[in-house]
Amino acid sequence: MAPRPLSRRAFLRSALGAGVAAAVGGAALIARRIAIAAPTPSPLSPHARGGERGGVARYALIIDTTRCVGCGACVKACNIRNNLPGGKSYIRIFPRGGELDRWFLPVQCQHCANPPCAHVCPTRATYRRSDGVVLINEKRCVGCKYCEVACPYQARTFDEKRGVVDKCWLCLDDVLAGGEPACVQACVLGARLFGRQDDPNSEVARLISSGEAKPLHPEFGTQPSVLYYIV
Amino acid sequence: MGQTAWGWLTVIYLFLGGLGAGAFLTAAFFELSGWRYERDYSPTCLTGATVSGPMVALGSLLLIFDLGAGKLQPWRILHMFTHFRSVMTWGIWILSIFIPLGLIYGLLELIEVEPFIRGLAQAWLRPKVRSCRRLVAIVGSIFAVGTAVHTGVLISAVGPAVPLWSQPLLPFLPVPLLPVLFLILAISTGLGLSFDLTATIALRGIHEQTRSLRSVQVRIMSLIRIILISLETVLITLLFISALNAGGAAAESARLVLYGSFSVVFWVGVVLIGLVCPFLIYAYVIGVGHQPLLLGLISGLGVMIAGLSLRYLIIAAGIPAFL
Repeated sequence: MAPRPLSRRAFLRSALGAGVAAAVGGAALIARRIAIAAPTPSPLSPHARGGERGGVARYALIIDTTRCVGCGACVKACNIRNNLPGGKSYIRIFPRGGELDRWFLPVQCQHCANPPCAHVCPTRATYRRSDGVVLINEKRCVGCKYCEVACPYQARTFDEKRGVVDKCWLCLDDVLAGGEPACVQACVLGARLFGRQDDPNSEVARLISSGEAKPLHPEFGTQPSVLYYIV
Repeated sequence: MGQTAWGWLTVIYLFLGGLGAGAFLTAAFFELSGWRYERDYSPTCLTGATVSGPMVALGSLLLIFDLGAGKLQPWRILHMFTHFRSVMTWGIWILSIFIPLGLIYGLLELIEVEPFIRGLAQAWLRPKVRSCRRLVAIVGSIFAVGTAVHTGVLISAVGPAVPLWSQPLLPFLPVPLLPVLFLILAISTGLGLSFDLTATIALRGIHEQTRSLRSVQVRIMSLIRIILISLETVLITLLFISALNAGGAAAESARLVLYGSFSVVFWVGVVLIGLVCPFLIYAYVIGVGHQPLLLGLISGLGVMIAGLSLRYLIIAAGIPAFL
């Protein structure tokens, strides 16, 4: 049988396909132009290039307990940034050691890769973003406090007024705009280091890969994004 | 001190959930074994069946009152049906199925004694009441066990956060202990309410001359109760031994209960009133073959007090692993 001549329908289809491909290609080229023309995004921004996975950020916060003196500036900054009423905070500072070897352990949401809070939440209000930040969708939260009980770091608080659970969100809007969380900005001693662990050139990635920054209670199996440098 | 997110309200709804489930199981047992028809144990069935649905419904209502935003904006509760990884979602499903079954079971029992409900029932239903009741008893029992077990699963599922709650059944068996303990507590308290209290009080009238409940069934039930109390004793012992061995927050919780600030509630409320007294009473009943009114009241109330106290202790003494 002789090859069938191109039918009218098939011809139209391929012509249309070619047209669409050309349009998409053109748009991509223009978009590239614009991207090149735009100012270079901050290295912390999720759209910044240079990360292993070409742009999907994976944040990490490293707390250096050898520098922390327990001054509470991070707590203050966090309370102001998040409009928290007095007596409530997303960060708690635990004095550790004895009289002579006193050191301080600041604890907040550890943004776990395997978050027990998200597993027990019946409404899926608590969830983990692909950049590692664990958030609460306050529109879904019913305030059962199951996550508060299940968090092994006791990092969650209950907002009596709104009836929802509340916690550190790594000041995500600042971070996405290229900034740092309020606690990191406030720490005058530089005990807090924030960065992208997917970027191999970053300081956080170096500290994590060298094993100097370690998770708190690794036996919980939570794989936190907040790590500690404890001697 | 223990965790503070869950308080008295949680204790009460866990207790009511267990009591309602246990009452259902008691009624279903008497129904399916046929004892309800052999001897006049219909008061046990009547109480067990009518109480189960409302008890669990009341518990669920308290659970809703314990919510934050869910109480103010109840439509949010619908979200709780959606996350199948969460054991609380399983619980919501089990409760939503068990409560209607319990209420239907109660109505099928009330048809026997209440002329008004008998009048409401259609003519075609009346001859089928017995088979309907058996069907509801069988299906409902599955969900009653689910409800009772779930009260333990809910709190043991928090895992490493509260070590007392996630102690294993045996050191080499990674099954949490609390669901098993709470199932046995539920059956115990359900029997305490619908057999010890109701049957002894109701049958006092039937056996006016002896003022006591006398039958083979009483002996069998007492034997079952002795087995349940022994199991409870073993499980409570295992729980605290394993908590003490685990060290850290688990051991701290165990010390709080055994000789800390909760020791009076534990040794008096649970051990003396809930285990020792009922044990002696049931042993006596097996010996003499009848259950006097007063002893029925003491044992029935005793196991219920123990069920409430033990749940309170476990919730209140749950010290978080990290503080």
